[in-house]
Amino acid sequence: MKSNTPMDNNAAEEKLVSAASSEVIINIEKVNKWYDDFHVLKDIDLVVKKGERIVVCGPSGSGKSTLIRCINNLEEHQEGSIVVDGITLNKNLKNIDHIRTEVGMVFQNFNLFPHLSILDNLMLGPIWVRKMPKAEARATALEYLERVKIPEQADKFPGQLSGGQQQRVAIARSLCMNPKIMLFDEPTSALDPEMIKEVLDVMVELAETGMTMIVVTHEMNFAKTIADRVIFMDEGDIVEENEPLQFFNNPQHDRTKLFLSQIL
Amino acid sequence: MAFVKKEITHARPAPLSERSVIGWMHKHLFSSFYNSILTIVTLYIIYITTKGLWVWGIADAVWIAESRRECFDISIDGACWAGVIAWMDNIFYGRYPKDELWRVNVGILLLIVWMLPLWLPRVKGKIFIAITLISFYPFLANYIFLGGESSFFSQFMVSAAIVSFVVIMLNAIIGVIQGQSISTFIATRLGSSLKSEKSQRNLNLALLIITFIIAFLWQQSWVLGEVPWTKWGGLFLTLVISGIGIATALPGGIILALGRRSKLPVIKVLSTTFIEVFRSVPLITVLFMATTMFPLFLPEGFVLNKLAQVIIAVCLFNAAYMAETVRGGLQTIPKGQYEGAHTIGLGYWGTMGLIVMPQALKNMIPNIVGNFISILKGTTLVSIIGLFDILGMLSSVSRDLSWIGLHKEPLLFGAMIFFILCALMSKYSRHLEAKLSTNRKT
Repeated sequence: MKSNTPMDNNAAEEKLVSAASSEVIINIEKVNKWYDDFHVLKDIDLVVKKGERIVVCGPSGSGKSTLIRCINNLEEHQEGSIVVDGITLNKNLKNIDHIRTEVGMVFQNFNLFPHLSILDNLMLGPIWVRKMPKAEARATALEYLERVKIPEQADKFPGQLSGGQQQRVAIARSLCMNPKIMLFDEPTSALDPEMIKEVLDVMVELAETGMTMIVVTHEMNFAKTIADRVIFMDEGDIVEENEPLQFFNNPQHDRTKLFLSQIL
Repeated sequence: MAFVKKEITHARPAPLSERSVIGWMHKHLFSSFYNSILTIVTLYIIYITTKGLWVWGIADAVWIAESRRECFDISIDGACWAGVIAWMDNIFYGRYPKDELWRVNVGILLLIVWMLPLWLPRVKGKIFIAITLISFYPFLANYIFLGGESSFFSQFMVSAAIVSFVVIMLNAIIGVIQGQSISTFIATRLGSSLKSEKSQRNLNLALLIITFIIAFLWQQSWVLGEVPWTKWGGLFLTLVISGIGIATALPGGIILALGRRSKLPVIKVLSTTFIEVFRSVPLITVLFMATTMFPLFLPEGFVLNKLAQVIIAVCLFNAAYMAETVRGGLQTIPKGQYEGAHTIGLGYWGTMGLIVMPQALKNMIPNIVGNFISILKGTTLVSIIGLFDILGMLSSVSRDLSWIGLHKEPLLFGAMIFFILCALMSKYSRHLEAKLSTNRKT
């Protein structure tokens, strides 16, 4: 565990109040997925409420990234159903495009567009997908850059920014599309220890606004602070699922115990 | 063993050997005994060869003479540039009538002036410039070069070209002086009477239509004698064929490359077959096929002239080559870029057009320009199937009775022309690379 994030000290006291409502926003039922012959997701069931914050953890190859990538169809599932915001994910390209505009995603490697300035990275989606007028898109972009605390970098290119700054830009880029759900795929795994905090801070602030979030991460203190639920996956199965305090202090499954003893 | 640094180490300038000319020479030319010998020997070889070239090409050369015989009388060992000078018009324009040469110059000048605003940073509406250039200029050029009776359609397109040219020029002037586009300039001049966007658009449209009518009436009074394509030749013909080849190769290549990577099997197979067939055959074969077999596939009575057949063949051939270059460029783009684009809701065309292609093409600039250069050089093959392009003209000099047997000088002159054109292209490509590079740290 990287222990120099200041959150360690008093994370438990700062536990955010849950924003979960009773409205279901993601409903995953009996989802199976194979990469060729390899069974990556096995009968996954997961219901996410609006405003709920879920942290997914597990060893590498356990299918946690694949699971969240199925939610916006970056990966196709072969069996089962995924319903996002009332829309069923199927072969219909219109549905997929629509769901993608409602679901923001942040990657381990940022995936910013290196040929565009920071501002253009942020304005691209609103202008081309949302058909927003340029001036309005610009104002929105600047507002979100302000929120992730790097307004002064607006005219630079991604290659000129540090990893932490790039990841914050990536978060702002997703937020510019005004999504209902945010997916985070190991957002701090490619960052230097000193930069992890600045990204996690932005994510905590985002959680405070009541955004529905699914975060794949190994930052356990972060999980304790924001998660309503922690999901532990192994070999394509959801092995254990609990609220964070119970999950960390009183794990039930042997595999979970082993995993927690390895990383804590 | 504790150590704490107390002062800051200040940066110092690099040692003299890294910065001065003598330092550079010491490091790169005379770093050891054997390197020094190598340098001196190389310099001596360069001296011998350039001296010979200098004496033959310039010192002993003949510049003014009536025939090759006269050249020999003046200087037996020197180059006979007089022959090249006498044939200069033919080398540049082929057998285009002497009195009509201005038409070629005007046509090429129009192209250059048309493109010029693309390089002026303050000018707005560059996409309009590019689109009108591609859609209207060819018709204008066709009319200017070919002349003769023109159909209503051709007159229509020529008028459209005139209107776009005028608009682009005014727009460029206003852009350079005011930094505005022409439509905002008109709108601000007329002030408050034009508040809504709609009335402004109507006004622009009305102005365009009026200029179009004027242009249409004006061009009807033009009388240009017909110059059949058989009279075209020289550098002019080379530039026409390779220019069209270059202009179509990139868009054609992009379409084919996307087709080859498509998930739709029919499109994929068709594109792959097309690319592989054209890439597995030499250009000269394609040219022979185009001029002898192509007419067999056309409906009865429909005759395409040889030049058009050659141009089509050159375009198809080079699009196939460009497709593989573009495909190579597409493979340099990591999967994450597609995923990043998808997550903000961009579909296939948005992802390709806004994210993937711009990066792939930027990575591919050296290869693309390399392709352009080989298109320019490759078109000289048309001289084999009987078109008098620049190479055809250069080798005709030796068959002129007055200059019989004069081979070396015209070919050397041609080599210089190609060297200049190709060097300009590759120089521009390096400039473009540097300009588009966004990886630099400030």
